[in-house]
Amino acid sequence: SELPKELLPGPYPRTPEERAAAAKKYNMRVEDYEPYPDEGFGYGDYPKLPNRSLHERDPWYQWDQQDMRHNWGQPMHWNFDMYIRNRVDTSPTPVPWHTMRKHFLVFLSTMLIMFGLGQIYPSYMPVGPKQYPFNDLYLEKGGDPNKEPPVVTHYEI
Amino acid sequence: MASGPPPTAAEAYRPNKYVSLPAELDPDTYDASPEKRRAEAERLAIRARLKRQYQLQLNNPNPPAIIEDPALLRWAYARTQNIYPNFRPTPKTSFLGALFAIGPLLFWIGVFKAERDHKEKLIQEGKYKRPFSMF
Repeated sequence: SELPKELLPGPYPRTPEERAAAAKKYNMRVEDYEPYPDEGFGYGDYPKLPNRSLHERDPWYQWDQQDMRHNWGQPMHWNFDMYIRNRVDTSPTPVPWHTMRKHFLVFLSTMLIMFGLGQIYPSYMPVGPKQYPFNDLYLEKGGDPNKEPPVVTHYEI
Repeated sequence: MASGPPPTAAEAYRPNKYVSLPAELDPDTYDASPEKRRAEAERLAIRARLKRQYQLQLNNPNPPAIIEDPALLRWAYARTQNIYPNFRPTPKTSFLGALFAIGPLLFWIGVFKAERDHKEKLIQEGKYKRPFSMF
């Protein structure tokens, strides 16, 4: 890219002067600028912005890029491509998240337990073998019409 | 016995990394102290300066072919070319690297080998049916 080296991201800022310079580079206030903790993961001096998705940004404000809800020069979140409006949404929900999780887990576990019990202890309506009329279909099964068919009773008294 | 004051609406909501607190429940919304206003004014000044730069380029009678966004360039650079210079092997990064890079490899090697050995054992004992058919 054609940006000069001072404007590109660099290593983790150690002194307050480096911090101020990094904040100015990223167009942020020095108080707002907070780099990722220096644990060797490769973030460098990139600012750690709040993990809010683009759904939460004002839809009525005239952004420079209205679909991305982003202004020219505004620092982008590290996971900007995850927080776009087609993807992850962190906007507040009408019901608290822990309540939703609890309800979902209760329903899911109830259904799974019932299905499991049904597999282990299946229960059906009682059935018997099918009963055919006309002496067990004697003529249809090729019995001799001249002979007396054997009498078949399907009941016991 | 009393169990303390009831939780505030913001505490009852319990925002986490999947949902954020609504602005109406956040005490910061109702804080109109001069420090907050000065901070907002400074942020507005930065925003206005950037807007002006952008609008000047946009409405230029000889506009450049592309108006580059330095924030976008910095974002792309940080995520691609700035990772290796700032990477440092620490206990945490070594552990995570082993877990996510070498772990699955060894795991699937083990799984495939075990499955193949099991099948080979069945074939040697003659218990594996191998129909000579494509389907």
